[in-house]
Amino acid sequence: MPHDEVYEAMSSAFETGAPVALATVAQTLGSTPRKTGAKMLVREDGSFVGTIGGGCGEAEVWQEAMDALDDGSARMVTVDLTEPVDGEDKICGGVMRIFVERLQA
Amino acid sequence: MSCTSSSTSESSADQGGAYPERMTTSSEIAQALLRAAREGPALAACTVMAASPGVDVALGAKLLVYADHEIGEIGGGPLQARVTQFARDAIPNHLVQTCVFTPQGDLIEGRRAIESADAVVEVLVEVVEPAATLLVVGGGHVGLAVGQLGAMLGMDVAIIDDREDYANPERFPYAADVICGDFDEELQRFPISANTYIVLVSRGHKVDELALRAVAERGAGYVGMIGSQRRTRTVLQHLAEDGVDRESLDRVFTPIGLDIGAETPEEIAVSVLGEIILVRRGGGAQPMSEHGRSLAAASR
Repeated sequence: MPHDEVYEAMSSAFETGAPVALATVAQTLGSTPRKTGAKMLVREDGSFVGTIGGGCGEAEVWQEAMDALDDGSARMVTVDLTEPVDGEDKICGGVMRIFVERLQA
Repeated sequence: MSCTSSSTSESSADQGGAYPERMTTSSEIAQALLRAAREGPALAACTVMAASPGVDVALGAKLLVYADHEIGEIGGGPLQARVTQFARDAIPNHLVQTCVFTPQGDLIEGRRAIESADAVVEVLVEVVEPAATLLVVGGGHVGLAVGQLGAMLGMDVAIIDDREDYANPERFPYAADVICGDFDEELQRFPISANTYIVLVSRGHKVDELALRAVAERGAGYVGMIGSQRRTRTVLQHLAEDGVDRESLDRVFTPIGLDIGAETPEEIAVSVLGEIILVRRGGGAQPMSEHGRSLAAASR
């Protein structure tokens, strides 16, 4: 699936000199909402484009992306969807490794 | 565009630890990705996502590999050379995969091999290309359902028919291209690449034969033709007798679709698009549950 929305948002941000954080699914194990290569781009104001799988773990990755925008470090985030939170079973039940990097023109 | 490294110098100010991390990429890379996703040509984007301590490669380093050149760099040396080669070979397969290499550039596979390696570099190799084109020849019931499902799957759908009632934008509101005209003429003119998937579901075998003749040898990613075993064999025979390349004919999927007992046009569309996904992604075309059963059997 082409990620033109994400790449377009990246190019637009770079035109204004703004940094972005890019989260990319590096690896999945078991049943996960998105597969390798899925992307979410997060801007400094917290708005984002694309998805690495809605709900399941996305909030966690968004927070890591905001942190990466802050401290500039690339990082690998492991999102475990196998453990229930809030007493509710998650629909997915796999593990995703997501690469989060800060990018700037 | 020249083979330049992309603003490595800008990241140096932010480098603190033992492993240099790249916090920046150039606009050039972003624009190249956008262009590849919008118009092509396809490229394989390689990103360093993880590296063992001490391996001298920047996290986030990017190398964009085209069929005939590259932009960016991931540390140079044998690693970059081998990744480049691997990525170039991946382009026709639409690969999106994280691959593990040794710092010397040897691809290593299997958990055990990775664990036994002294040091590894994880590289995401992802082919970036425009949405696949689904060219539907024939705008009848089956063509209608195939087009709809293709659009749902994110493909750019083009419909060709020589009858205006079956090839108009009202009938195919989601189609990127609705062509009403002579089949042969329009198909000759239609651009076809490895990213084009062609479904021949016209009103009859005469038209399918003519259409297949026009597209068979043009390197499409997929050509499928509807019809019974007997009828489609006759069509292939005719074309072979007329000197159409035998290998190209052998690659035609006909009768079309996966064997899922499809009856209605919509079910046939699922069967056809299922086959296209299979060709594109390379699955096993078995119920997932069968995998579990065969695994269980193997462990017994």
